[in-house]
Amino acid sequence: MRPVQASASLRDVTVVFDDRPVLRDVTIDFAPGLTLIRGPNGAGKTTLLRAIAGLVPLARGARAIAADPLFIGQRTMLLRALSARENLTFYRRFRGLSADGVEAALAAWGISARDRDRPVEQLSAGERRRASLARIRTEPLAIMLLDEPFTELDDAASSELRTAIGAARDEGRTVIVATHAHPELDALAGATVRLREGRVIVE
Amino acid sequence: MTGLGRIGLVAVRELRAERREPDGIVAAVTFIAVLVLLESLVVGPVVARDADIAPALFWIALAFATILATMRSFDRELEDDALEGLVALPGGRDALFGGKVVAIAVVLAIVALVGGLLSLVLLDLPLALPLHLVVVVVLGVVALPPVVVDVVLALRLRARAALVPILALPVLVPQLVAASRGASAAIAGDAVGALSWAGLLFAFAVVYGVIGLTIVPAAIE
Repeated sequence: MRPVQASASLRDVTVVFDDRPVLRDVTIDFAPGLTLIRGPNGAGKTTLLRAIAGLVPLARGARAIAADPLFIGQRTMLLRALSARENLTFYRRFRGLSADGVEAALAAWGISARDRDRPVEQLSAGERRRASLARIRTEPLAIMLLDEPFTELDDAASSELRTAIGAARDEGRTVIVATHAHPELDALAGATVRLREGRVIVE
Repeated sequence: MTGLGRIGLVAVRELRAERREPDGIVAAVTFIAVLVLLESLVVGPVVARDADIAPALFWIALAFATILATMRSFDRELEDDALEGLVALPGGRDALFGGKVVAIAVVLAIVALVGGLLSLVLLDLPLALPLHLVVVVVLGVVALPPVVVDVVLALRLRARAALVPILALPVLVPQLVAASRGASAAIAGDAVGALSWAGLLFAFAVVYGVIGLTIVPAAIE
């Protein structure tokens, strides 16, 4: 599966949870390359990513996306009781892909052969996060949405993630990363969106 | 990947997780076994063998087992946002309902098999039409999970522990009546009655299956 040029956009999007607006009149176009979503806690970064992924209902506005995205949330999205290998194989098979490449991807992210077959709840938080991020390699889609992907990662894994993000950018993929830290990503980013209280304050 | 293929993938994933962590099925089997054992003690061995009493208690136990299995399934799915990972996939929302229903029906079939055999052996039930009983039990097992999964998803997964049993049990009453009457008819040798109730169970399974497949994409937003 080769990534293709793609983009996503939000037009005048408002998202409301329990009568509280979490995103307000947000309009953004996402071009291929790396876009950072920055802002303090509660600014609406996660909701923005979930709106792009189509995971939250829009109270107002419209969403357009050129292809199904890979969305990796703040938590690992791995089903307990299953191994990392089984989880990643499930995601690939669901997209109509073979199980090929799962072992190599997990190995590349430092998950040992023994740990690949252990139930994910028996792995450390950092190992689970790395197993989750191996989806960047096993599901190489044109659009990637990563929500606070550096959570739980040590320095080596953080460096690995920066390399993976840079490689995806260089392949022409649209990579959208929400993070309130990691200023070193600024050098890789083609655009930065800053949010405060659900509004875009700088684009 | 077809829609049925995706449903199959979700069901297999669910059953694999259930096999690794069988606490839900163990609790359901234990519950139904204890109920069968207590039944003859509480109502007496003669009444317990009544063709109307044993099926009624059996299906009430299966209704609770359905709720238990469904709640455990969604609890596991929500623990690390695995559910969101699934619905974020193309076709994930549509496959979620079908996959869950199929997997829970398989779990329920195991519980029904154990509970049914225990009822037949321990209560020494006189069974006139075993094949008709099998038809009723199979359709009952298929008819219960769509209702409970519909209720869980219609609640948008909130307040499951308190609301699912309260809201699901009244909706399950028609299925419980049909399954109990159908099983009673099979035990008593009323073939027409057993098949009529089985047909009603089939109709309920279709109705709630269609409801689930059509409301799920909106309900889980």
